[in-house]
Amino acid sequence: MGSFIFKRSLQSVFSLVVLIILVFFLARMTGSPADLYLPQDASLEVRNQFNEQLGFNDPLYVQFGRFFWGLLHFDMGQSLQFSRPAVEVVLQAFPTTLTLAAITMPLVLLLSIVTGSLAAFRPGGVFDRLASFISLIGASTPNFWVAIVGVLVFAVTLRVLPTSGTGTPLHWVLPVAVLMLRPTGVLVQVVRTSMMTALSSAYIKTARAKGVGSRAIVFVHALRNGLLPVITVASDQAAGIVNGAVIVETVFGFPGIGKLMIDSVMLRDFAVIQAAVLVTALAVFIINIIVDITYALVDPRIRYS
Amino acid sequence: MPLSIRVSGTAEMNAPVSLTLQTSATSSGFRDAIGLLWRDKLATLSAILLLIVLVCVLLGPWLLADKARAVNLMARNAPPFSIDKGWMFFLGADALGRSLLARIIVASQNTMVIATSAVCLSLVLGGLFGLIAGYKGGWVSALLLRLADAIMSFPSMLLAVIVLFVFDPGITNVIFVLAISRIPIFLRTVRAEVLEIKERMFVTAARAMGARTDRILLRHIAPMVLPTVINLAALEIAFVMLVESGLSFLGIGIQPPEVTWGLMVADGRNYLGSAWWLAFWPGVAIMLVTMALNLLSNWLRVVTDPVERWRLQTTVSRHD
Amino acid sequence: MNFWKPMLVAVSATLIAPLTSAKAEDATAVTIVLPAGPDRLDPCETPRSVIGRIIKQNVVETLVELDYTNRTTLPRLAESWEQTAPTEWVFKLRQGVTFHDGTPFDAKAVIHSLERTNDPALTCITRTKYLDGTDVKATEIDAHTVKFTTKTAVPILPTLLAQLAISSVNTPKGEYTATPIGTGPYKFDHWTQGENVVLIRSDAYWGNKPLIDKATYVWRSESSVAAAMVETGEADLAFSIAPQDAINPETDKVYPNSDSALFRLSVDIPPLNDVRVRKAINLAIDRQAFLGSIISDKAELAMQQVGPSVLGFNANLKPWPYDPEQAKALLAQAKADGVDVDREIRMIGRPAMFANSNEFVEAAAEMLRSVGFTIKLDNLEMSQWLKMANKPFAEDRQPNVFLTMHDNNSGDAAFTAFFKYHSNGRQSELHDADLDALIVDAGTQAGAKRAEEYNEVFRRIYEDIVADVPLFHMVNYMRVGKRLDFTPTIANAVELQLAKLKLN
Repeated sequence: MGSFIFKRSLQSVFSLVVLIILVFFLARMTGSPADLYLPQDASLEVRNQFNEQLGFNDPLYVQFGRFFWGLLHFDMGQSLQFSRPAVEVVLQAFPTTLTLAAITMPLVLLLSIVTGSLAAFRPGGVFDRLASFISLIGASTPNFWVAIVGVLVFAVTLRVLPTSGTGTPLHWVLPVAVLMLRPTGVLVQVVRTSMMTALSSAYIKTARAKGVGSRAIVFVHALRNGLLPVITVASDQAAGIVNGAVIVETVFGFPGIGKLMIDSVMLRDFAVIQAAVLVTALAVFIINIIVDITYALVDPRIRYS
Repeated sequence: MPLSIRVSGTAEMNAPVSLTLQTSATSSGFRDAIGLLWRDKLATLSAILLLIVLVCVLLGPWLLADKARAVNLMARNAPPFSIDKGWMFFLGADALGRSLLARIIVASQNTMVIATSAVCLSLVLGGLFGLIAGYKGGWVSALLLRLADAIMSFPSMLLAVIVLFVFDPGITNVIFVLAISRIPIFLRTVRAEVLEIKERMFVTAARAMGARTDRILLRHIAPMVLPTVINLAALEIAFVMLVESGLSFLGIGIQPPEVTWGLMVADGRNYLGSAWWLAFWPGVAIMLVTMALNLLSNWLRVVTDPVERWRLQTTVSRHD
Repeated sequence: MNFWKPMLVAVSATLIAPLTSAKAEDATAVTIVLPAGPDRLDPCETPRSVIGRIIKQNVVETLVELDYTNRTTLPRLAESWEQTAPTEWVFKLRQGVTFHDGTPFDAKAVIHSLERTNDPALTCITRTKYLDGTDVKATEIDAHTVKFTTKTAVPILPTLLAQLAISSVNTPKGEYTATPIGTGPYKFDHWTQGENVVLIRSDAYWGNKPLIDKATYVWRSESSVAAAMVETGEADLAFSIAPQDAINPETDKVYPNSDSALFRLSVDIPPLNDVRVRKAINLAIDRQAFLGSIISDKAELAMQQVGPSVLGFNANLKPWPYDPEQAKALLAQAKADGVDVDREIRMIGRPAMFANSNEFVEAAAEMLRSVGFTIKLDNLEMSQWLKMANKPFAEDRQPNVFLTMHDNNSGDAAFTAFFKYHSNGRQSELHDADLDALIVDAGTQAGAKRAEEYNEVFRRIYEDIVADVPLFHMVNYMRVGKRLDFTPTIANAVELQLAKLKLN
């Protein structure tokens, strides 16, 4: 187990390096920041000065070398927009997004496993139809639409929740609810499908035919077997929370990393893009390692290899 | 004993049935499928809806492109459910007084082309890599998985923004970006399933009998994975439409005069307080297509599984 | 399935220490919603509205203040000034003023601020946009008298100095600061990245003590959310909301934002090199139809690139009528003379240039199509848009109808005329020797003569050359909550003086 984690982490370093190279060059292909940071009527001299000072006049490989060298010293460079170290900017924004994800994902899992399983138990039943219907609405509604309608309904009309911002726990209700929407919708579908497969598989049928144990035991056995695809999709959804967070943070004015990333691309703040991608990538790798371990725990036939 | 035979038989029976559904080669198989579809009213409804969408995709822009583009500032935000301005305005008009109905129909082409091509592309690539990664194991698997990790850990929204800034936000580029960012989920799903299936009796048996790897993968394992993948793909189509909409919300993604449902929702969100119908109808379109695809894929999963199919044929009447 | 809501509240309660909500606890505190947050709060960046509207004249003040209504300058930290020689100005400073860190406001502080702003290690916008090229230097005559010298005669030096915010000598040179120290009625308190900026009233202020004692700035990019915040009382003032959200005449007040939108035409590229074609474009766009629909009905038709608050604005120009028939006739004439009027013309816009700008270009493209133009519409992202806006222009570019928006909030046409219309201007499509000479000469004049020459510049561009398609002088909507008594003006394009807020 220990050696598995070690090996897996080493492999992740490979992914990280691929990712970093990708981000570095892709980001720079989007064009020079000089025009965005200087007034449109800035003189040629001023523009040259700007590029010279920030090293944008150097060939790309020199810039990359400098970036990589800095990286080895845990220096991700200065943020152009904030003129502060990029790591600092990113680490300040990350906890908000992490908290959003940490509240959202457990709720999503709980809600979707319970709903999906119950739906699978009696396919075609009233509960199944209802759960499918609602979850599909959840999976197919644009989250910014829900977010804005949420503000208009709960904050403006009913006045039970604040419109936006952070501060009290009530401020988190709408963002988390919006963020839960799609993952829950998708996972209910996935849980339902794989539970149905598991429940109809041979050994469960045999167990049921033999009259072994209660309904609950059968259920737990099926759940254990049906969990593999659920874990896969759930990990994807967890990684994708950053995407949802972009929208949620934009609408609700949350100071998270999702909005920071997008703003940084718009402003060609390369250092922040790189730092932000690195930090989220680390989080995603940790999720993936946990997922791989969970696979093995759920299905003993899968060995660490 | 009979039970286990049936389960292993699934793999063999699976391919022909789904094949008939797709190609409708033999008329008896086709009639059979229609008959089965008719038994599930919701699936029938879904199929009809998707057919309508298909017609819109094929004919919409050809018939209605001019109507969808005709600006009439006098009819700005005209409310729905009124036919004073003609049936084209039954769903109301947008901020430029263009018929929402016409625009939704015309937009169906871009929307569906983007969503289905992106999902098909990632399904084929991700599925193939997943089969290999799951079956082979070893360094091949590790390499594929870590590459998938690299893509997966690059937030797809961010990837899309960067790529669309580098290349222009045309339809092809949007398709490519979305397809690439969705490969990992197919890869991982397929791999996870393969890991489990390859330990099953019939695969071990096939292997013991000396069947070739590609044959085992494509003939025995792939059909077993297919139902899950199709279900996933149905959900992914919704996801792709939503990401595309999210990009429009951020002001990137497809740019006017091109139009997609996602773009319409994103533009309409500015008027949620005053003219809800602008964002509502295209949103409903996305929702209906998602629902139809999922109901149909669920139905497909049921009918292609002989056990389920038997149950469906005997019990479905009770549910309706 | 309602179990998760209370649980959510419980979970989040343990995760986040509840902060006290600022809402309406303090009767003289205000919360202001901006459309975007600041990136740095440096005094040398105050001309950028994301920074200026928080700190300009609140935390840091300028020697000179612009009076937009009378197109003139007023004393602020300077008591008076005079031009002693063509390249020399002497400024008398206000006495008895101290910075928030306790240091005195004197000649040394002015020199320090100017040197810091002109430091090439920083790209302060006050330098790169306003002071660049003037080579302005400051020397101390006595503690409260400063002499400014420039390389060449700069008749509008006081106008330029209205952009220079004065900060304490303790503001480090060579690096940006996030903690501005000024002389203004409010002290900078703190800035939480991505969340808010807080200012509190300074008791040592030299002028009248303002009513508001604390201001919290937050930002929401969604206009509907910003508007909702004021409606629910979570905030007192939303700086800028979209026209479609400004539905309550009691709270939603309009003000000109000094932005002028227009289509620039590539006058060298056929068929746009034919003046009849350019006129046809002007005639084909129904500007009036946009007002009150997707553009605010309070916006004004534009005939030139500067607004009425700018010295040099020509009030005698007449708007183009909407006359599609005449447009068609002009096109037919041009076509008869062999002009390729059917060539595809590229219309270029930029998302979110102004509220509803995407809709605007779509509709404008339709209007041009309906008189017979072949229009390809492209919306470009900021960086690509800038590439097309600025020289060097691509050799093989298509004829283009290019949407731009220019904000001249400096009060003088010099910041527009050269940059947009002189042969050497970075965003100029023109190369007309007579016009160039006139633009250069106008820049050296002062007073009425200056205004007169700039008037002629704008007339030639509009009537003789027909270089572009002026559209609108834009407006913003500000939502002012019921607690506040405030009417915004054009000055609010770049600043919001908290001292001017009154309570109901």
